[in-house]
Amino acid sequence: MSLLECRDLHVWFDQTHGGQVHAVNGASFGLDAGQRFGLVGESGCGKTTTILALMGLLPPTASVAGEVRINGTDILCGGEESVRPFRWRDIAMVFQGAMNAFNPMKTVAWQIAEPMVYHGVADRAEARSRASELLELVGIPAAAGKRYPHEFSGGMRQRAAIAMALACEPKILLADEPTTALDVMVQAQVLELLTRLSDELGLALILVTHDLPVVAQTCERAAVMYGGEIVEDGPVADLYHAASHPYTRLLFAATPDLYGEERITTIPGGPPRLDSVIAGCPFRPRCDVPMERCDGEHPTLSITGPDHRAACHRNELQGAK
Amino acid sequence: MSTPHAAPSAAESLLEVEGLAARYPVRRGLTQVLARQTRRWVHAVDGVSLSLARGEMVALVGESGCGKTTTVQTISGMVTPSSGSIQLDGAEIVGLSERRLRPLRRRMQMIYQDPYESLDPRFRVSQTLVEPMLIHGIGGSRSDRARLAAEALERAGLAPAGAFLDRYPHELSGGQRQRVAIAAALVLGPDLLLADEPVSMLDVSVRAGVLALLDALRRDPGMGILMITHDLSTAAHFADRIAVMYLGRIVEQGPAQTVVRAPRHPYTRALLSVVPDRDPRKAGTPQILTGEAPDPANVPSGCRFRTRCPVAEAQCTTADPHLRFPSDATDPAHEVACHLA
Ligand SMILES: Nc1ncnc2c1ncn2[C@@H]1O[C@H](COP(=O)(O)OP(=O)(O)OP(=O)(O)O)[C@@H](O)[C@H]1O
Ligand SMILES: Nc1ncnc2c1ncn2[C@@H]1O[C@H](COP(=O)(O)OP(=O)(O)OP(=O)(O)O)[C@@H](O)[C@H]1O
Ligand code: SF4
Ligand SMILES: [Mg+2]
Ligand SMILES: [Mg+2]
Repeated sequence: MSLLECRDLHVWFDQTHGGQVHAVNGASFGLDAGQRFGLVGESGCGKTTTILALMGLLPPTASVAGEVRINGTDILCGGEESVRPFRWRDIAMVFQGAMNAFNPMKTVAWQIAEPMVYHGVADRAEARSRASELLELVGIPAAAGKRYPHEFSGGMRQRAAIAMALACEPKILLADEPTTALDVMVQAQVLELLTRLSDELGLALILVTHDLPVVAQTCERAAVMYGGEIVEDGPVADLYHAASHPYTRLLFAATPDLYGEERITTIPGGPPRLDSVIAGCPFRPRCDVPMERCDGEHPTLSITGPDHRAACHRNELQGAK
Repeated sequence: MSTPHAAPSAAESLLEVEGLAARYPVRRGLTQVLARQTRRWVHAVDGVSLSLARGEMVALVGESGCGKTTTVQTISGMVTPSSGSIQLDGAEIVGLSERRLRPLRRRMQMIYQDPYESLDPRFRVSQTLVEPMLIHGIGGSRSDRARLAAEALERAGLAPAGAFLDRYPHELSGGQRQRVAIAAALVLGPDLLLADEPVSMLDVSVRAGVLALLDALRRDPGMGILMITHDLSTAAHFADRIAVMYLGRIVEQGPAQTVVRAPRHPYTRALLSVVPDRDPRKAGTPQILTGEAPDPANVPSGCRFRTRCPVAEAQCTTADPHLRFPSDATDPAHEVACHLA
């Protein structure tokens, strides 16, 4: 039994002008303690929606189906009632853009302490000393906590946002684009911190990003999302060296490499619309190796190697590698 | 032994920047003003020298806040330099009157990071393209302008132009919007493109296309491109030369492959070491510098990098190293500002 098990997750959003967006379409993955898992894909492919669903934090316009289990207990089936005991205590999240969402009027330490008081986990004094510990844990001297967010650099605010998510000692941390707004040196500092936390505290990490090299160097496994679906998942080395889905292969080919000599390429076209049912393979219009059946038949995930799956008809054709 | 200067001389280079400085006043509180505390300055650009030849692409890289945008804005005339010289085709432009600057402005066009913000949402693509021509008095008649607009769009990779001219920005993808922004710069027939993070807001799958477009434009004889990017891999792939900036100054510059494969400045070395490789099996040893660059209102004495430098020596505290050819340089175009290089 995995620490976290997500099975056939679907999320639909109601649109204001009628109709629905199928933002997450049958996502399944598992995560063990201390594991670092990457969720990658381009803007709008459903990464944030997927992890908000794991936290039970989707807006009221969303409908959710599927199972999310923590140590075997389904936290989705009973709505808010069933997630609440797990949220923040077992599974916590650093929101996309969190480093820019601090309240400018309150000190950083108090913003970490306050939710603990509010949720009745600690009294004021305990919460304050816990906030100091958390700041130290993420590499910020406790004394700096007395300062206001604008006195912090971007990297320090991102660390503070991570500290905030760790307040209730969760076992699973979901980090949504934690390094996107940071430059490469500060990105390296934050990734080193996340890696250390998962190694030392046994924290399971889901790292959400559109940046493939970040996932390649930080995570053991990753899932590639396209148009709301996981189209490939497996160990990161296999995704790079033996991609089983054309999209994964093309994404890597579009990513420049410091010392690489080959030309980087584009993937023509754009992502599919999610407000209508896609008959064939969602990647068909942009695929460089489509076949006839890709037009009418929606490929499903099939095993393509040890711990490696992809949703592409080409794999069925060739059989498991 | 120093090698003779092989970089393009001022006469043949398109852009020649020498000792450029630009500063912003530090905001003072009322009490500080009343106490007659001396005005302090953010030294955003603090002695930048660089050159750009026609047909060349130079990438300006460096940490957030190191002064990349201010450098480019000073070149384009949006920020007034406090000192230094900027020559376009050998003619000094610092200190020119607005009237004499105007025709030069047309020759230098900026491309911004965010294609969502740089295009007016109320304008159709055709209006976006015609507007700058009207401002600069280009194209004799309406039909001339329409033809020039269509040509620019197709050069920017949006063909056939007819399919795009009547669209509004919200009817375009991010990559298409950035192409429209580039086309809007092209209608003026610039010699110099100043591109500030032109692809960082775009999805990876479309970045290569926009970069390839810039690459093609510079090969068009005459156009030079100064591109700011925080992505060293992009710089390594597309630029002829890379200039690494730290706290308002260029600390290393040279041919892209030399800078990437044989960096000489400890800052460049650290920066390159933390670029994650897309191949999971190629894990390097990241040399992570602690903290962030010092406040540009308070530049350290001596070498500005010394507070974070892993190899700093006593002389680094007192003497400010200037850009020079490293003692044993193999590439005459490679310059480094480090006492130990
Ligand atoms: N509250 C909402 N109402 C309606 N549609 C939504 C809502 N939130 C997200 N969507 C849509 O769902 C899809 C998935 O969005 P999501 O934010 O999960 O993408 P993402 O992969 O996190 O993208 P990014 O990299 O830009 O953060 C998109 O098409 C988006 O427009
Ligand atoms: N209008 C302004 N007023 C005051 N200070 C400014 C202004 N613009 C920039 N600065 C300061 O000047 C320095 C250089 O800023 P600049 O925007 O040029 O850096 P940059 O290298 O482009 O950074 P980034 O990678 O974040 O875009 C920074 O310390 C910044 O805070
Ligand atoms: S299923 Fe077909 S269209 Fe889809 S990725 Fe595979 S080959 Fe391409
Ligand atoms: Mg997101
Ligand atoms: Mg900038």
